[in-house]
Amino acid sequence: MAMRDLVTGAPSCGEPSSSSNPLGALANALIGSSSKTQERLKEIPTSVSTSSNGNFLAGSQEPLVSLPGSEFEQPLHPNIQGSQFLQGFRSADQNRLSDVWDEIQRPQLPFAHGSQNMTNIPLEYARVQPDLNGPPQQVLSSFLHSFVNSSQRGMPFRPTSLPLLGLSEGDKQCIRDRSTIMARHFFADKGEDFINGQVNALLSSLEIDTDARARGPVPGRYPELEEYWNESQAMRPAPHVADGWINEFAQNRVEHADPNAWAQSYEQQHSANGWASEFEHEQSQLGMIGQMRGANIPNLAAMEQTRMLAHTLAQNNDPKFQNSKFLQFVSKMSRGEITIEENQFKPATVAPGDWAAEYEQQYNGGQSWADQFAHEELSRGPQGWVNEFSAEREQHGSVNDEWVNEFSKLNVNDWADEFGNQVAEGAFGETSADSWAEAYDEYMNEQAALKQQSDASRGVYVFSDLNPYVGHPNPLKEGQELFRKGLLSEAVLALEAEVLKNPENAEGWRLLGIAHAENDDDQQAIAAMMRAQEADPTNLEVLLSLGVSHTNELEQQAALKYLYSWLRHHPKYGSIAPQDQPVSFYHADVSRLFTDAAQMAPDDADVHIVLGVLYNLSREYDKAIESFKTALKLKPRDYSLWNKLGATQANSVQSADAILAYQQALDLKPNYVRAWANMGISYANQGMYEDSIRYYVRALAMNPKADNAWQYLRISLSCASRNDMLDACDSRNLDVLQKEFPL
Amino acid sequence: MADNSSQLKSDAIFEQMKLHLTTDAGKALIKNIGLVYQINIAPKKIGFNEKVYVVDLKKGDCKEGPYEGGKPDATFSFKDDDFVKIATGKMNPQIAFMRGAMKIKGSISAAQKFTPDIFPKPSKM
Repeated sequence: MAMRDLVTGAPSCGEPSSSSNPLGALANALIGSSSKTQERLKEIPTSVSTSSNGNFLAGSQEPLVSLPGSEFEQPLHPNIQGSQFLQGFRSADQNRLSDVWDEIQRPQLPFAHGSQNMTNIPLEYARVQPDLNGPPQQVLSSFLHSFVNSSQRGMPFRPTSLPLLGLSEGDKQCIRDRSTIMARHFFADKGEDFINGQVNALLSSLEIDTDARARGPVPGRYPELEEYWNESQAMRPAPHVADGWINEFAQNRVEHADPNAWAQSYEQQHSANGWASEFEHEQSQLGMIGQMRGANIPNLAAMEQTRMLAHTLAQNNDPKFQNSKFLQFVSKMSRGEITIEENQFKPATVAPGDWAAEYEQQYNGGQSWADQFAHEELSRGPQGWVNEFSAEREQHGSVNDEWVNEFSKLNVNDWADEFGNQVAEGAFGETSADSWAEAYDEYMNEQAALKQQSDASRGVYVFSDLNPYVGHPNPLKEGQELFRKGLLSEAVLALEAEVLKNPENAEGWRLLGIAHAENDDDQQAIAAMMRAQEADPTNLEVLLSLGVSHTNELEQQAALKYLYSWLRHHPKYGSIAPQDQPVSFYHADVSRLFTDAAQMAPDDADVHIVLGVLYNLSREYDKAIESFKTALKLKPRDYSLWNKLGATQANSVQSADAILAYQQALDLKPNYVRAWANMGISYANQGMYEDSIRYYVRALAMNPKADNAWQYLRISLSCASRNDMLDACDSRNLDVLQKEFPL
Repeated sequence: MADNSSQLKSDAIFEQMKLHLTTDAGKALIKNIGLVYQINIAPKKIGFNEKVYVVDLKKGDCKEGPYEGGKPDATFSFKDDDFVKIATGKMNPQIAFMRGAMKIKGSISAAQKFTPDIFPKPSKM
């Protein structure tokens, strides 16, 4: 039955009584004959029918489900999913319709259309060429039968010349659409080209132009849905499709003077956020179960929302609406049997069995408010809502994502938010499903990496796995030597060996911290410096380093604490700091103390350095630059000072000056990873992405563990439209990157 | 500046953004994106004690306080830390969205253009 409905398009394709509707007849023939095929196939369970009629018939033999809404209560089962899906295409009174069809067709076409006669048709036509004489109706009918026959034999269909049939435009479109759909069924195992060839042969014989204009969406992988689409498109008055729906919409507009009325009244009743917050609640519950994987959430959300919709619609007692395809469709979607991916509706491929059941259980609690909603909806007169909605649907039916947009405009924000992302991405021409999948993979990787990182971020030092310096007789001396040579990553290993051997060695930890800072790894620098401070709480260099690193990490309170400690523990300035340590630090107080200190000793470069850091914290960059410049006059060979000046200039958008300062630092210390990375940042902030890439790669070549630089490199690569190198970046393949971006 | 309780790490990024928008690279953003984003930053939990910033890539402005020229094209809500992670490229906006670390309101297509690329990167001392 379902197949017949699909093919005939039920009542919408022209008037049922029209004498020129040979497709009904064709469908009868087809379905009648395939029932025989099915019988034959029963003996060979594994063989696949050339058409998918078997499925359709299987579906139609099950008892009817009276209300689409009641399907919710049935537990989902993977192996009945298919037939349930197909049931959706059938509705209660279409049985009657088919009967009427048969009645209409029989007297007009004495050519054996009663289903009792159908069994021998395939055999007959395998032998006999179609009879192309007689009245047009009969000619067309037998011609179409020969088309069907050719399909059953898997033979290419040869065009034949036919007498003039006098088909109207509408007839032609019907034939074109239906034959395309049927051909996809017949030749499901064949390629698209073959199908098109067959259909074109048929159509050219009938002098129907094969213009794809009216044929609906481009053929894709999901034939059932395409049929559905094609059908819904053919529902519109042909051939002036656009005019048709405009008229219809205009009518609806007149009926409901204000199209926003229902949205507004819905808001009034539910205080706009009612649904949303309820939904959020539900969703967070689901999240806590943790059984749904993150990637399922968008679909889940869509399901949740459509479930509401379906439930509401099911309450509508208008029989016409009860039988509507749209309601069927929505109820499918609500059960996850149709998902939206890459802007196409498709049947869910994964058997939703267990998690759907899980979800079903969860859901029970939420039923009541949905009921309430439905109830209120009813009391307000359901017609308006539904009409308006189906009008919108009609209007936008051909473009899936517009449907979604339309929906989101109607203040159902959460639903749109959740999976609108997917759709919108599709609108940008990307394969959204892929990028979400990628993002999910990234998320999993990140989770794994976070386990390590979280240690570092909590201030716990993370040691390298394989350290050749463990067991070295004097790793501290080795480390100092390596640091002096500028081999920072090697120095880190040697110093790690030292602090593993002597965990209380403040100097070992301090130098380790400095090496990490110069290597552009502030997390590890902070962790090492905190150990150094434990070992030696008053070391001024350690306190200053901690202040600087926390400033870099934008952690103001921590930075102020260490800079204040620096002052308190300084032999010269300790006296100006109040003896009782404040509970929380105010920037103004701390900087005032340092201004005093600078007046006490204007020639102490260190005070100016701390002041510069403090002004960085308060983002008074001009003052910070002044302080650093003053300090540089006193300590012109301090490469870290040049870098501090450069960083300050860069952060106050004086990137050109910053690059000069970094150059000074690099002249003094060529392996200064932080300065190389900062160079990259300055070029990137000026929009010179190609240049920035070279500097990042240079920095990474010296310290492949500099995560920041990897992240910045990735951004610059995509800004410079070098997406071809993103893989190399993600796999941290420095050889490829260095070859591509030499400095 | 003196008010510690309202200090956010994100403040630094927005301040730098404001300066950044006066540069050539910033003007390119205005040309390429031309949208207005409102960004709500919460110190601890999204929705609580939020500080509102508007990054106006139409006029090239970045300031605290709600948008006055109508409705922003998209509004985002973050925790302070998460926003810094996103602006500095440590976290992918899609991942943030999946984790619930980023909430979006408004036009999805406008939200799609909200990437780490638009923010200047802080340099380190």
